[in-house]
Parts: sequence; C-alpha cells; structure tokens
Amino acid sequence: MDIKNNKFYQMWFKNAWTYVTGAILLSLFQIVTLATTNDPWGVSGPFANWGAWLYQAVGGSVDKWYYFSSKGAQATLSGGFMNDPGSIRNLGIIVGALFATLMASQFKFKKIKSLKQVIAAILGGLLMGYGARIGFGCNIGALYSGIASLSVSGWVFALFLFLGATVGSKLLVKYFM
Amino acid sequence: MAKEVTLDCMGEACPVPLIKTENALKKLTVGDMLIVQIDHSCAMKNVPEWARKEGHNVEIEEVDDGEWEIFIEKTK
Repeated sequence: MDIKNNKFYQMWFKNAWTYVTGAILLSLFQIVTLATTNDPWGVSGPFANWGAWLYQAVGGSVDKWYYFSSKGAQATLSGGFMNDPGSIRNLGIIVGALFATLMASQFKFKKIKSLKQVIAAILGGLLMGYGARIGFGCNIGALYSGIASLSVSGWVFALFLFLGATVGSKLLVKYFM
Repeated sequence: MAKEVTLDCMGEACPVPLIKTENALKKLTVGDMLIVQIDHSCAMKNVPEWARKEGHNVEIEEVDDGEWEIFIEKTK
C-alpha cells in the first residue's frame, strides 16, 4: 500500500493540525518549559546571545554592553550554547520545522522574486529584531508568555502589536501590491 | 464565455497571495475561473478559507513538493 494514502500518515504528517490542537500542545509545552527551566518560553532572546557569541568568535567583546551587563546574562554567555535552554529550543524549532516539512514532502527552495522582496525582508527582520529586544520580548516572550504569566504587559503588548500590524498591512498594500 | 485566469503567487508570503487573490477575483465576472499558484503552505489555508467564506467554489491541487494550485470559480 502506498504510504501517501495511509490514514495515519495523512493525519500525523500530511494534513495541517487544527488550531485547537496547536493551542493545547503549545500550552502543555509552555508548562513543561516553565517547570524545567524556571523561565517562560521566549524565542528572540537567545538570538541576541547567538549574536554575542558570533561577535566574540571574531574577537569582539560585549562585557561593557548594557544589555548583557546583568549577572544572569553574563552567566548565560559564559555557559555557552549547549547550556542555554533557549538556544537548544530554538535549534529544536528549526530542526522540527524542517522535519515536518520533509515528512509532508513539502520542502522547497523558494525563488527570490524581486529586489524589493529582499529589501523588505532585510528591513523587516532588522526592525523585528530591534523591536523585540528593545521591548524585552517578541510575540512569544512578551505576548504569549506575558499573558500566560497573568502580566498586564502582555495585554499592552497585544494592543500595540495589533496597531502595528494594522499600519504594516496598510503599508504592505500601498507599496508591495 | 467563461474565462480562465492564472495568478502567479510563487515565492510570495502571507498575506500577499490572499490580497492578490481578492484583487484578481474582483476583476472577473461570474462563472470565471481563477487559478492561484502558490508555494507557501499558510496561503494554502487562508486563500481557500477566504474564498469559501465568500461563497465561491474552491478546489486545491498539490502539483509538486510544496507547490499548489487553488482553483476558484467565481459564483457571485
């Protein structure tokens, strides 16, 4: 029998899981994350550490940077990649996403359509990265984990995320369509 | 005579395919067929979802690894 027609293959790997399934799994793993690492889930924070490690690898030093001045941040940096739960988790997200798309046989190298797309992607990435660090969190650390921790800041973040997305969509339609 | 129009959304990420589909469908008349080519799996969810909600007839075909064609028949 062809595996493509197998009921369980389609259910587990081919068809997208429902939003409810995703929500329940995210909630469960958020609890596991908080219980095992004593920190709620965050994604963009470890990327700042990756940046610091890359900078150190080429001879730079972030010892005097305000962002990395806390004892905790210094301990994470000197502990290295393998001892940072957030870094391992981000690696897991990338490997897991690759695994999922391979299992569904949907992997594809996508063509870059235009220079405009490249500029928009770089600009968007820089703004998101900068915003996430200056705001002490991204959709995950500040919004999802914030609200899950019953913090008002998560809801404030949600309000301005909505406003930003509205303005962003208008700009997208105006300059990108 | 019903027309068949192809919309190339390869390499485009959300929400560009959806907005392009909305705009393309506005220009068609009832009975026409719009074929949206996509390679972004989120668009495979939100484009058909929107078109079905609007009441159009929708079919999805997986044409290659990570590539789909969404057939939308304009019904109103």
